[in-house]
Amino acid sequence: MYTDTVSAPGDPLEIETVHYGSAYTMADYETISQNLYLTTSYIYSPKLKFHGMVGYNRSTAEMDRVFFPDVSTQTEGDLAHSDFTFENMHDYSNLDYELMNFSLGFEYMISKDVVWTAEGEYADLKDNEGYVYDIESGSMLMIRSGIRFAF
Amino acid sequence: MKRIFTILLQSLLLVALTFMVAAGQEEKIEETYSVWIGSSYTDFTDYTKKIGEFRNGDDEFLPEFSIDYLSRGINHIFSLNGKYRDENNIIADMSSKIGDGFSADFKYRSMFKQAGQDMLANLETREAGGGKMLTHEILDPGADYYVHRKEIESSFNLRLSKKNNIRLIAAHRTVLQTGIEQHIASSHCFSCHLTSSTATIDKITHQIMAGLQADLGKNTVGYQFGYRIFESEAPVNVADFDDAIHPVFGTKGAEFGSRMIYEDVTLPVGEYPNTEKLSHKLTFKGDAGKSSYGSSISYSKATNKNNDLSSTALSGSAFYATSLADLTRLIARFSVARLDVESTFVDLPLYRDGRPGTPKDFDFTRYSSLNRLDLRGSVEVISRLNKRLTASFSTGIRLVDREYYPADDADATTTFFGQAKVRYRKGMRYSTSVKYRFESSSNPFTSARGLFEARGRSILNSVDGTAFVYYWQREDLRYQDITTVPTQAHILDVTSSWRPNNKVNLNVGFKAKYDKNDNLDSLDISHFSMQPSLALNVNIDPKWTVSAGGSYAFKKSRGPVTIALFDG
Repeated sequence: MYTDTVSAPGDPLEIETVHYGSAYTMADYETISQNLYLTTSYIYSPKLKFHGMVGYNRSTAEMDRVFFPDVSTQTEGDLAHSDFTFENMHDYSNLDYELMNFSLGFEYMISKDVVWTAEGEYADLKDNEGYVYDIESGSMLMIRSGIRFAF
Repeated sequence: MKRIFTILLQSLLLVALTFMVAAGQEEKIEETYSVWIGSSYTDFTDYTKKIGEFRNGDDEFLPEFSIDYLSRGINHIFSLNGKYRDENNIIADMSSKIGDGFSADFKYRSMFKQAGQDMLANLETREAGGGKMLTHEILDPGADYYVHRKEIESSFNLRLSKKNNIRLIAAHRTVLQTGIEQHIASSHCFSCHLTSSTATIDKITHQIMAGLQADLGKNTVGYQFGYRIFESEAPVNVADFDDAIHPVFGTKGAEFGSRMIYEDVTLPVGEYPNTEKLSHKLTFKGDAGKSSYGSSISYSKATNKNNDLSSTALSGSAFYATSLADLTRLIARFSVARLDVESTFVDLPLYRDGRPGTPKDFDFTRYSSLNRLDLRGSVEVISRLNKRLTASFSTGIRLVDREYYPADDADATTTFFGQAKVRYRKGMRYSTSVKYRFESSSNPFTSARGLFEARGRSILNSVDGTAFVYYWQREDLRYQDITTVPTQAHILDVTSSWRPNNKVNLNVGFKAKYDKNDNLDSLDISHFSMQPSLALNVNIDPKWTVSAGGSYAFKKSRGPVTIALFDG
């Protein structure tokens, strides 16, 4: 919270602020999310069942490049040390994530009341842009198995 | 933790007790158990907080189990479903119903969510020539932010008397959130210095509702009392604020200090309010021939116990539904709400007190934009035109009259909508529905005079007794309202389902919305979104089932990018 610069602090008659109003332009911002999936279940035999899934998601967000108007006339040639072009500003908030995930599992009936279950899941996230949390790419592998008792 | 276990045990015992009493009084006709016991192993690679946002465990085996139980008798039903993934991810549902006289439900949800650390790396810049700068500092590098959320819900419905069907209704909900979160503090713009630190989360919400309901002839009347508290028991987070120094030269003087509300001090920041809310609600509904009607009146008062500020809401609603013809029905709805939020006076130290010139007093009264009268009314007509075709048309209006924003005498926001929906159905094989909605608003909520500044050169004069022009004087130059709220919106929703045989089912959908604001002078503010989707289910044979589908969501927004042209 400091003052605007004045042209000649020592002479009140010459005081003029270096303030030339404001300028603007219009810009578009787009987000796109694409999602595909395939799931299946198969009863191989009365005792054995399989299930599986594959999924893909891609989400992007970006701002169109900002073409700022030439403000040199408005600023009367002043403020030459300031850059009002914003050539790279549209890249600041770009987002681009790709997520692939697969799962496969089975249920095997050991006896009338006891079933063995097992499944595996793999997910891979690719962060093509990185944002405030830096690059968030990572993958996960999970396996789960157990016995179900039914009465 | 002790409190949540106490609540958990009390709720569980109450529901289980009712089940045991009911089950002991009659012969069970159906009883099934299913117990799953197992283990899972999870391995993460690279950055884990996004891909493993809701998962616990890394490179370790964790025990898991789940249970499903159902007991059904002639006069009762009891079910229990539970799943334990790890100590932070647990789900449990229990419900019990005994005839028409008693029912109880209980739910417990425990979940865990990780959060990344904002590296603040995009907040780093310096003016050309070594001038003013913006810097950041991570004071808690590598912090492991997370939230553990536990929620308990229970509800009971007990018939006190068969005469007039008098019922006692009660419900309870508790939410606990613990963990740590990132807190970002910003020093004044004399140093533009942002810091990241770790803050503790320990929040609790308790909510109870109790009421009575009775049938009087064909009418039902009821009363509900509600009470909710929110408290944070975490230690108050603090931040260190920098010395007031010249942004370029780094020198400290009386001038800079006289412009600050605070500097070179450690202060509490990000403090959560401790709130309390009381509510009362009267309800009435009934039938008369082919018509039905209902209404409610409610009053609530919420108070921030930290500063004793409160808000009140008085609202009422009514509906009336009747048959206009054998296959045509009309539904009319109306509601009114009055919201009042107390204003508060903000007392600030004098700006540049003790310096040359007249000091500036920035004290102000904060009025709330929530203070408003909110009126809504709508009429809908639904008609079945023939065996295959159903159509509905609705129209309505909403009026929001804000007391203070953007000015005392500002016009109310009025929104009109019209909607038409047609559904075609050919047996179980094919159906399609098309819905179109149009909304038109006048005077939508805006950020008043918030976007542009007029030219200040030759207009702004130095403050008396000084040779300077100050930032606060630019407030008089501001103009141009801006908002993301549209004045016109068009919404389309199409869904279609085709089932050529018992093996194939195809669903296709398309949603689109376009809105714009015509009240912002030359600014062309608009939004467009669309989402086609497709889902296919195929039973290839009795043993093999395949489901596949996809969706594409596109959204485009158009808005202004603006900057003030000045040096300072």
